[in-house]
Order: sequence, then C-alpha cells, then structure tokens
Amino acid sequence: MRKYILIRAVYSVVTLWLLVTIIFGLVRLTGDPVTMKAEAGADAAYIAQLRHNWGLDQPLYRQYTSYIGNLLLGDFGHSFGKSLPVKTIYLERLPNSLKLGFAAFVISLVLGIPLGMLSALRVNTWWDSVGKTIALLGLSMPGFFVGLVLIIVFGVQLHWLPVLGKGASAFIWSNPSTWVPFWFKDWSHLAMPAFALGWYFAGAMLRITRSGMLDVLDSDYIKLVRLKGVPEQVVIAKHALKNSMIPVLTLAGLNLLIMVNVAVVIEVIFNWPGVGQLLYDGLSNRDFPMVQGVVLMSGVMIVVLNFVIDVLYGYVDPRIRLSR
Amino acid sequence: MRKGIFAVIPVLILLLAAPWGKLMAAASKPTSILSGPLAKLDIKPAQIETARGTSKGTLTVAMHFALDPGWLDPLEHSYAITQQMYDYLVHDTMIKPMPHGYVTYGLAEQAEFAADFRRAAFRLRPGLRFHDGQPLTTADVKWTYENFKGAYASLFHEKLDHIQIVDDRTIVFHFKEPFIDFMDLYNGGVSGIGWIIPKHYYEKVGRDGFKAQPIGAGPYKLVSQQAGVQMVFDAWEEYWRRSPGVKTIVVKGITDLTARMAGLQTGELDLAYGMTGKLLPRLMADRNLRWDPNFTGPWWLMFPGYNEPGSPFRDKRVRQAISLSINRQFLVKQETQGIGKPWGNWISPENRDALQGADAPVPEYNVEKAKQLMAQAGVPEGFEVEYLPFPPYFDMGERVLTDLRAIGIRGKLQSLEGPAFRAKIGQGRKGIPGNRTIVQNIDPRAGGAKANVAVYAVCGSPSSFVCEPQIEALWTKHQASLDAPERERLIKAIQRILIDEHYLVPLYWNPFVHAVGPRVRPEGEAFHRYWDTLNAPYPWPWEVWEVKADK
Repeated sequence: MRKYILIRAVYSVVTLWLLVTIIFGLVRLTGDPVTMKAEAGADAAYIAQLRHNWGLDQPLYRQYTSYIGNLLLGDFGHSFGKSLPVKTIYLERLPNSLKLGFAAFVISLVLGIPLGMLSALRVNTWWDSVGKTIALLGLSMPGFFVGLVLIIVFGVQLHWLPVLGKGASAFIWSNPSTWVPFWFKDWSHLAMPAFALGWYFAGAMLRITRSGMLDVLDSDYIKLVRLKGVPEQVVIAKHALKNSMIPVLTLAGLNLLIMVNVAVVIEVIFNWPGVGQLLYDGLSNRDFPMVQGVVLMSGVMIVVLNFVIDVLYGYVDPRIRLSR
Repeated sequence: MRKGIFAVIPVLILLLAAPWGKLMAAASKPTSILSGPLAKLDIKPAQIETARGTSKGTLTVAMHFALDPGWLDPLEHSYAITQQMYDYLVHDTMIKPMPHGYVTYGLAEQAEFAADFRRAAFRLRPGLRFHDGQPLTTADVKWTYENFKGAYASLFHEKLDHIQIVDDRTIVFHFKEPFIDFMDLYNGGVSGIGWIIPKHYYEKVGRDGFKAQPIGAGPYKLVSQQAGVQMVFDAWEEYWRRSPGVKTIVVKGITDLTARMAGLQTGELDLAYGMTGKLLPRLMADRNLRWDPNFTGPWWLMFPGYNEPGSPFRDKRVRQAISLSINRQFLVKQETQGIGKPWGNWISPENRDALQGADAPVPEYNVEKAKQLMAQAGVPEGFEVEYLPFPPYFDMGERVLTDLRAIGIRGKLQSLEGPAFRAKIGQGRKGIPGNRTIVQNIDPRAGGAKANVAVYAVCGSPSSFVCEPQIEALWTKHQASLDAPERERLIKAIQRILIDEHYLVPLYWNPFVHAVGPRVRPEGEAFHRYWDTLNAPYPWPWEVWEVKADK
C-alpha cells in the first residue's frame, strides 16, 4: 500500500509540473501584456519600465526557471493587473469561493438527489414528470438567466435580498476569530448567487440520480431482495440508494470543484468576489501570474482530490493497488 | 502738557502704522521666489472653506472596472485617467483641476515659471500634513519627482537639471533646457508626478506595502481594500481645504452593467459609472434615480494605413464620403437617447485650444453626395472593410456599418475585449494589420488639444495613426516655439488639416452617463455640480460630495 501511495504521489507531482509548464507556455501565446497596460501614447521608457517590473525583459527560459524557483518557495508572483502578490489576492478570494461553492453544492444535492429518487421511485407518474421538468429547466436555463430573474424579483421588486457582493463578513487568515463566523454570516447575500449556481447542477444531479436509481431498481439483486420479502423502505434505503449513489458522488465531487473554481458568470452578475472573477480578469488582461496562479491552484485541488480517491480506491479494492 | 501728549499720539500711531502696513502688504502679496522675468500663469486660488463641518454618511460608488491597488500609488501613475479618481481621494497635488478652474492651487499656494521656461518654483501652503500627522515638506516634493516612474517619467527626468530646496516650503526645479510644457504636465489632471508621496512612509513600507496601505495628504484615508473588489475610505477631518462632506466612501468594482443598475435600484449603490447603453432608458424612467450626462470626449473614426498603396482610404474623397454617409443625429438618438451631441472635432471641447463651434461645424449627412464622391474616387460599388469598435460599443459599430452600407462599404465587425483593443490602439498603425480597417475610437485625454495631436496625429508617436508632412512641419514648429499664442495657432492649424482632410472623422460628443441614488444630496438637479471639473470623466473632487446620514 505504501508503494502504491508513493507512486500515486509521484504521478500527482508530475501532473502538476506538466500543468504549470503548459499554462506558462499557453498564456504567453496570447500576446504581450505590456501593450495592454500601456495606454495610447505611452512612451518607450514607460513600456520598458513596465516590462522590467514584470520580469518580461528576461529571456523566456529565465522567466520559466525563476517562476518554478519562486513557486517552490511558495511565491506565485505579482499580479500585473492588481499590483499585489498573487498569493495574497488568491487567498483573500478563496474563502468566498468556497462559501459560495459549498452553499451551491448543498442546494444542488438537496434539490437534485431527493427529487431524482422520487422520480425514479414514481416513474412515469405525475411526480416523475415534475422531476423531469425541473431537470430540464435546470439544464436549459443558464445560471446567469436564473440569477437575473432572482435579482429583479427578490432584489429590485421585493427588496428582500441584497444583490451585490458577499456582505461585510470576511475570512481573515491571520485572525482565527473570523474563521468560523465567516461561514454563518451574511446568508442574505449568499442566497441568490448560491441558488443560481446550484440550480444548474441540481438539474444534472436529479437526472443522474434518477437514471442511477432506475438502473439499480431494475437489477437482479434488488429483485431478489424484494422476493425475499424485505420491506420496500429497507430495499431502497439499504440496498438501492447506496449503489445508485456511486456515479452521483463522483459527479458531485467534480461539480463542487467547478462551483468553487469557475463560477465566473454568477460571480460577475452578483459581484461576488471569488476566484472565478480573478481568472476572468486575468485572462482578459493577460495577467500571466494571476492566470498561472489560479489555474495552478485549481489543478492542485483536482490532483489532490484524485489522489485521495485513488488512495481510497486502492484501500477499498485491493485488486486496484495490486494491479499497479 | 496735555495738548503736547495729544500731539504726540498721532505721530506715534503714524510711526507704528508704517511698518505694520508694509507687513500687511507683504502678507497679502507673496514674495517672489524666482529672480528675473516670469511667464504669465493662470492658476486659480484654492477655495478653502474655513467653517469646518462634520463628515457624515456613506457613499457607495460602483466603478465599471475591477479595482487595481496599483491605482493608489501615484509614483507609478499610468496614462489612464481612471487613476486620478484615487489620486483625488487619498493624495493631493501641487496644482490640479477643480470645479472652479482647470489649473488651481492645491498643496502649493504659489507657483512661478521663469520667462525662459528653465525654472519653475512652488511654495507650499503652511501647516500641511500627511494622514499620519507627519509634515509634508519640499523634501517629499523632491523625492516624489526623483522617484516617479509613471507616465511621462522619462520626459520629466530628461529635462531636469537639479532640484533646489530653498526651505521646507519653497522648491525650485531647474531644467536643462526650456520646458514650456512643464506646468501643463505637472498639473495633477495630466500626470502623476505632482501628487505628493510621503517619503518617510514609502521608504518604510516599500512598493507593495504602499499599494496595500497607502497614506497621502488627500481628503480620504484608505481603511481597507480587497484587491479588485472593494476599497473603503474614511474622511480625514484635518484636510486643509475643508472637512470632507461624506464620512465613508466605499468603491466597488462592478463590471456588469446590469448589476450596477440593480445596485442603484436596491439602494446598495449611491453612484454608478458607465450607465450609457441598453439600460439607459430604464435609468431615465426610474423616478428614484438621477443621472448626469458627463460629457467626456467625441467619438471618431480613423483609417490605419490610409496613406499606403492599395488602401481605399488613400483617396480623400473616400474618407469624406464616409463622413457624409453617417447620420450622426440618428446615431446619437439610438446610442444615447439623444443626450449625445453630433460633433465636428475629434478632440473634447473642454480641452484647451480644441477647435469647436463655427470653427468645427458638425459634418453634413448627405448620402447622395457621398455616393458621388465614391464614384469619382473609382469605387462606385464600394469595398469590404474590417470594422474595429471601441469595446463594448459594438451596437454603435453595427449602426455605423449600416450607414456605410448605403454607400457600398461592407464591413465585418471585430469585437475585442477592452484591454486587447487598447493594446492595439497603443501600438498605433503597427497594432492593426492591413490597410482596410476602420477604427472607432474615443480618448477624453487632458492636457490641451496638443496632447491628443501628439498621440494620434504625429509620425513619431508610438500610437500614431496619421503621419503627414504638412502636419509634421507644423508640429515641429510647435515643439520649438516658446510663444504661447503661436503654439495655440499651430495646434489649431493642425486640427484644421485633420478635419478638412478627413484623416479623422468625428461622430458625436459622448455622454458617459453616471447615475446617483436617492441618498445623494443635494436633492433635485443641483447634484450636477459634482461634474463641474473640466476634463474629468469622474466626479472629483470627493470632499465636496454629500449624502444623507446613515440610519
């Protein structure tokens, strides 16, 4: 098992190195960031100064080695567009994205899984039609549309909920007393963006729960359990639900990562200060360090999650670790 | 004896009054700093309000950009005018545009410019301090100049011979050669070098530390910031000019127009920028909201590579036909609900020496004449072009293209993100390949009409789009001249050529609409006074703003 974990860890590190290298090259294909910052009329000395400040006057290999060297020391570089260290800005935004992502994740699970189960258990009934309709709406109505409708109804018309930002609560890394209250304050700010973001994923979750459940309910072992006279509630809760949840949980894990890292549109329309906006701003402004930093951190999350899953698979199923 | 005493008293009074009178005269008329003849300067006195009120309420402002902490550091002042919004909050400058004049005294209470333009002197007003209570002296002014790395830095450094600190309040800049544009460029409305940085603090906290937590001598202190998202400023009651009217100013970066509109309607925002566009009718219909047209600069069209072989725009008649084919009145109605003004120059009329009125009448709209000109130019069937509009004004681009289609010019619209567009414009002709592209641009640049000409219409500019020997000759003369009326005449002559030859085709004077919510005082139409500062696309100075007190 130890050897298996070690091999997986090496794979993860290599994957991250490849990711870092690829993104380093790709962002540089988009063009020269200095020309974006320099307005019309900017003289050559000003442009040269910017290029020097950003380290872009160095040859590419020097930029690369210095970037990797700094990364190993935990330095992600300075943002071109926001003039501060990328790590500082990223860490400031990350808790906000986690808060929004987790809230949306919970909404998607709470809506998607029970409705999906209900649809499967009451297949081809009125309940199933309602479930399918919700799934269809969830998948076909984009988050920004739902968000705008929510803003108009609950913000502008009814004045029930604020429409901008995350509220006054802040997660300050250097101040542990803010760590817990942050998650439980300003729910009025969170409600609409979390619903708008979770809504789409709830539709997907509903569909996959329904189809997973139908597959399981149609399987031989469920038929056998039923023939043995086990009560229907036990059949569903103990035998069907568990097995139907495997694809659901795999999807849920990926969804959570997406909700945390790339909720760009929802962040923009609700002015939610998350990492998605950072990535968007970084791409629009050719802010190389910012794009590299955000992509790297998303990559780290995915790689770590996969690593944990791989280790768990190996732990649960010995055939997997023995086959490697 | 008594009579004798009565006779002595008036004599004593006269004797005492004479030197006192001299003292009074000296106090009312500041002593000259520079020796020799001086150039005439038109700098308005600062309007100091001696009665100090109490700051109250919170003003929440929505910018249409993600916020950059770098804007808080004037030492690296960019060319972008956006940064001045933050200059006016946290910092203060020697001379600056204010509602009562384009050049007014700020930290300086006296300025002099030698008639040969080789020396400039300033005297700081007494008792100036930074937010941390440390005195602001000429050592800070000198340090700021010497360490400035922003826009025009190389020009300032190349021209400088040395800086002489006469005393804590008096400073003289000595230049290697006549620097006639110094006072224009040193103005806080044009560059960042006049916004004074506290030397002691900058050296202590460093470049990053200063951007994260700057201090200055302006009316507001930064309380907190989240990069890109929000900055919170608190009134600095000891500000020399007056107590700021608003206690707290919160600036948020909200890129989405819909979100800004919703924020105004829910009362989460008090002031929002960039409200021109699809939601303008909704804004105008909302009784709780008020708006200011905030005229910035005129839109114009330009033709990169127009003077190259193979370019259809090489023929003046084609450029003129394009101008004639555009229905500016309709464009203004569609784009700005009729607020904009069809215009005959590409330089803002608020910019000094800009041709306007009868000197630059609005071009006529005459499609038939335009067609005739196209036929005379040998392109009666028209041709295909690329059309590059200033983002996000793509609808406007489509409308212009519709007009051009009437004379056979068929265009393909390219839509770029703002930074990518600016990058292309910044590189001038080189930034836009081919010579069949029409660019729709706007640039509300301060610094007089010469600033616009210098960027777009002279060969040596990195952002040049017009390069003509005739203009070059006038520009060279302008740059060599030390005679202000002659310089004005030359810069107007250049504009005359640009307009008459249709090198740049003006469209309309753009309103960059700002909107305010019901908490902003004064109520009614008097709130327009916040936009009185010339050449300012944002409503500074901030210390004059007032809102209703927080509940």
